[in-house]
Amino acid sequence: MNHAKSKLSGTSTGYKAITVVILILLAIFFIFPLYWIVTGSFKDAMTINARVPQWFPLNPTLENYAKLFKNPAGQWLLNTVIMAVGALVLTCLTAALAGYALAKKRFYGRALLFTIIICAMALPKQVIVIPLLREMKILHLADTLWAVILPTVGWPFGVFLMKQFSETIPNEILEAARVDGAGELRTFFSVVFPMIKPGIGALAIFTFVNSWNDYFLQLIMLTSRTNWTISLGIARLQGEMSSDFGLIMAGATLAAIPIVAVFIAFQKYFTQGIAMGAVKG
Amino acid sequence: MAQNAVATAGKKPRKEKKSQFSGMSKALIRRETISAYLFLLPSLVFFIGFVVIPMIMCAVFSLQEMGLDSSANKFIGLANYVKMAQDSTFWQGFVNTVIIVVVAVPAVTAFSLWVSSAIYQMKTVTRSFFRCVFYLPVVTGTVAVTVVWKWMFNPYNGLLNQIFGTTGYDWLGNSATAIWCIIMILFTTSIGQPIVLYVAALGNVDQSLVEAAQVDGATKLQVFWKIKWPQIMPTTLYILVITTINSFQCFALIQLLTSGGPNGATNTIMYYIFQMAYNNQNFGYANAMGVVLAIIIAIFSAIQFKFAKTDN
Amino acid sequence: MKKSKRILALLLGASMSLGLAACGGGGGTTTTPAPGNSNTPAANESSTPSAGGNVELTIWTYPIGKFGDYDTMQGLIDEYTAANPGVSIKFELLDYTNGDTQVTSAITSGTAPDIIMEGPERLVTNWGANNLMVDLSDLWTEEATADIAATSQAVVDACQMDGKYYEYPLCMTTHCMAINYEVFEEAGALQYIDEETRTWTTDNFVKAMETIRDSGLVSVPGIVYCGGQGGDQGTRALVNNLYSGTYTNADHTEYTANSTENVKALELIKSMVDSGALNANAGFQAADELQQFANGTAAVTFCWNASNKANYASQVAFTPYAMAFPTDDGKPELCGGIWGFGIFDNGDQAKIDAAKDFIRYICDDPEQAKESVQLTGFFPVRASLGNVYEGTETEADAAEFLTLMPYMGDYYNVIGGWTEQRTNWWNMLQKILTGGVDAQTAADEFVTNSNAAIG
Repeated sequence: MNHAKSKLSGTSTGYKAITVVILILLAIFFIFPLYWIVTGSFKDAMTINARVPQWFPLNPTLENYAKLFKNPAGQWLLNTVIMAVGALVLTCLTAALAGYALAKKRFYGRALLFTIIICAMALPKQVIVIPLLREMKILHLADTLWAVILPTVGWPFGVFLMKQFSETIPNEILEAARVDGAGELRTFFSVVFPMIKPGIGALAIFTFVNSWNDYFLQLIMLTSRTNWTISLGIARLQGEMSSDFGLIMAGATLAAIPIVAVFIAFQKYFTQGIAMGAVKG
Repeated sequence: MAQNAVATAGKKPRKEKKSQFSGMSKALIRRETISAYLFLLPSLVFFIGFVVIPMIMCAVFSLQEMGLDSSANKFIGLANYVKMAQDSTFWQGFVNTVIIVVVAVPAVTAFSLWVSSAIYQMKTVTRSFFRCVFYLPVVTGTVAVTVVWKWMFNPYNGLLNQIFGTTGYDWLGNSATAIWCIIMILFTTSIGQPIVLYVAALGNVDQSLVEAAQVDGATKLQVFWKIKWPQIMPTTLYILVITTINSFQCFALIQLLTSGGPNGATNTIMYYIFQMAYNNQNFGYANAMGVVLAIIIAIFSAIQFKFAKTDN
Repeated sequence: MKKSKRILALLLGASMSLGLAACGGGGGTTTTPAPGNSNTPAANESSTPSAGGNVELTIWTYPIGKFGDYDTMQGLIDEYTAANPGVSIKFELLDYTNGDTQVTSAITSGTAPDIIMEGPERLVTNWGANNLMVDLSDLWTEEATADIAATSQAVVDACQMDGKYYEYPLCMTTHCMAINYEVFEEAGALQYIDEETRTWTTDNFVKAMETIRDSGLVSVPGIVYCGGQGGDQGTRALVNNLYSGTYTNADHTEYTANSTENVKALELIKSMVDSGALNANAGFQAADELQQFANGTAAVTFCWNASNKANYASQVAFTPYAMAFPTDDGKPELCGGIWGFGIFDNGDQAKIDAAKDFIRYICDDPEQAKESVQLTGFFPVRASLGNVYEGTETEADAAEFLTLMPYMGDYYNVIGGWTEQRTNWWNMLQKILTGGVDAQTAADEFVTNSNAAIG
């Protein structure tokens, strides 16, 4: 035992150095695609297709952006934000209420409901997209952002997350509120809600990112160009008869930069929120 | 009476498997049930409306021959399922799906745990930096990341071949490499969340226990397995769940990079369902595959939960 | 007392949150851009026919020349609606990669457009056969039928099924290939082509590609793309022409891609791939291959026509020279492209009538028809229009492709199981060219699977 220990500490400096080197290499690997997207968007067609890579755009051009904004790219971005925020607000609201009930209430059907939720959680949307389209037809919501928002809200992952989180609320506090004569709703909003706020933050971020990246549902549900999201827009910039990488990178930059900027600015809250949501799980 | 019930229920919420209602009066149970369902109502409206009902419709459709012309729909019993059992493309997709999940989920989990262990004790700035870096592909967006990789993989003017001097090598067009390229990109876009989670979880590990163990002469590895691992178990479960979901749903990568090729090497069940429905407009068959996939995934999640729970 | 109050509060809360959800719903809908909200009446069976007043039409076009261009479409529609104030038109531009998905989901969700522009393989064989389209027999007047038949009876035949016309065609072309003229010149490969007829023999094709390979002027002589269905007419024509095979039988009831001639052709391509005279790329579709041709990375493209030439004109730094596919007997059979309009049956007679009127304007109005055809970059189906490019600045370009028009082969795209066979085709090419599967085996499998899908 002692032998092992000394061996470990002996190699520990070397181990640390190797770790740092690997981490730095990995960091480059992870940053690079974003770098390549942004620089690529400023390269002209000749440079993009050159056989020797140009590591930095020496003759930066805005022509890709000019081409990009011939499309309703601003509208796509706006649609994406509306969609992601809409899904986020509805999901957080409904999941917080439901998660609390599942965690803290004793009621008939609780175990069954929870099992169904667990099983449905990993269900890919591809499975139910055909019936979903029919529903949207009946509800007259086909080809609107609602067709993407509603199934996202229906996905029970949020309920699961909020249930895990609500379980950390001490029953004594709920009991105290009850003794004070607080109604169910008041208990929820004045006692429970503040305690699960970090969890809601985590869920908000998760839903936002997921809905932003849910290319499949967007692909099926949104048919009109003006209703597209930015992800669909970029994917469609790649036509059958051309693959103009400069233009596509301009689209990708437009899609990535706002959310990356928001992420870096609020990095602390972002990571805190996510972390708090799950550590309690 | 009511207080008493709540108190006992609160103390041991997990252990009363036989009856969650022990010690509760009928009236109380009824009241609790009603209020619980009112809380659940908004969520259930969406869940039932946009998950459960479509799932049931999916099962019904799977028993039909169903194309674009809805007047020609007809009930064909289990014929779609029989067809599936004999469809080699389906089985190929099945195998690929399993490969992606079985490779990506442990890889993401283990790798994120390693990175997190390496960075969680670093200075705040360095830690934030690395956390940010690994989260970047997530916020960049799947489609944006996918298209830039498509460009880098391009055989004639893609960066990879330019660096390796292998002009013409077709990464995505080669059965041997294509699926690994997909898994690699999936890996880069899945790793961010787990790292953030693990860093936080490791930071929350009870330091007094760690110190006590070190005083007792435990090695680093022992400290990790005996002290830290059990404490981060809930996080691990959560990570397993989200990574599994992510891997099963991997679609944009395949659609934008390989369309399931070459020779079906990157064809997954998800992609095949999509193709069957939207290229071949064979909705009945697509739904049948959907039903089977849903059952597989439900079983998979259930096992994962059981496993993680007992391990705890 | 207390209990009931609590329940009341709960109910209130629940309805409040539901209300919130509903409100959010309303709010979101209004922020959703209005022009895209085609969900409402367009496809709804229950919508009342608009009585004489305003008719709102939706047109979706696949990228057929400038019909895939936003400004052009807007101009075209503005011109029409100015003359027909009772009609308003919205349009949507599709692409070939996602267009089918878009149309399929629109059909299943009831948001299908009124008018759609594409070829018979979709309009007739797929949507028409599925009873989704309106019979356009009244557009096919005797005069029109005779005029179109004067160009080619095949066009008339392709637009109908079981006595109903589901497409009213505007233009046509032959899909061909192209070579990088300067590279061929420098490598000394021009001797292998007949510049007057734009044809070459199979042997000369092989020699030319080998010459290009040995010259080292380009990274790759040519790319056989098989990463998806995009532009598969090129690979089909290549295989069929090399040894004069056919894709289907003459009645279009059976696939024949596993015939001796075709298998021989597939084996030849495979051997060229092995020798480096061609490159097989299972990650590429036509768009990717064209891009490599335009960059000068590849010396030939198998996916060429007037529309592609126009699209890439600004990118190419050489002369793309249109050629027929190589044949053993000197008689190329090129795949034809026919494009025109169809109307989805959305159950609203007023819309259908308005849609027909619009189609008449685009295709039959003597002045407009010429302009419409020019926009596509292809050639008119109506013989009476003559050479629409005469005296225009694109006359020379058009002449290049006009040389190839007589090589128009059988229009077999109307065979059943079309969508399934497209997937089978590129999968077959992958198996043979990159998967090491024997050509005969893979072609047999293709034929078996595709025939099974004819249904």
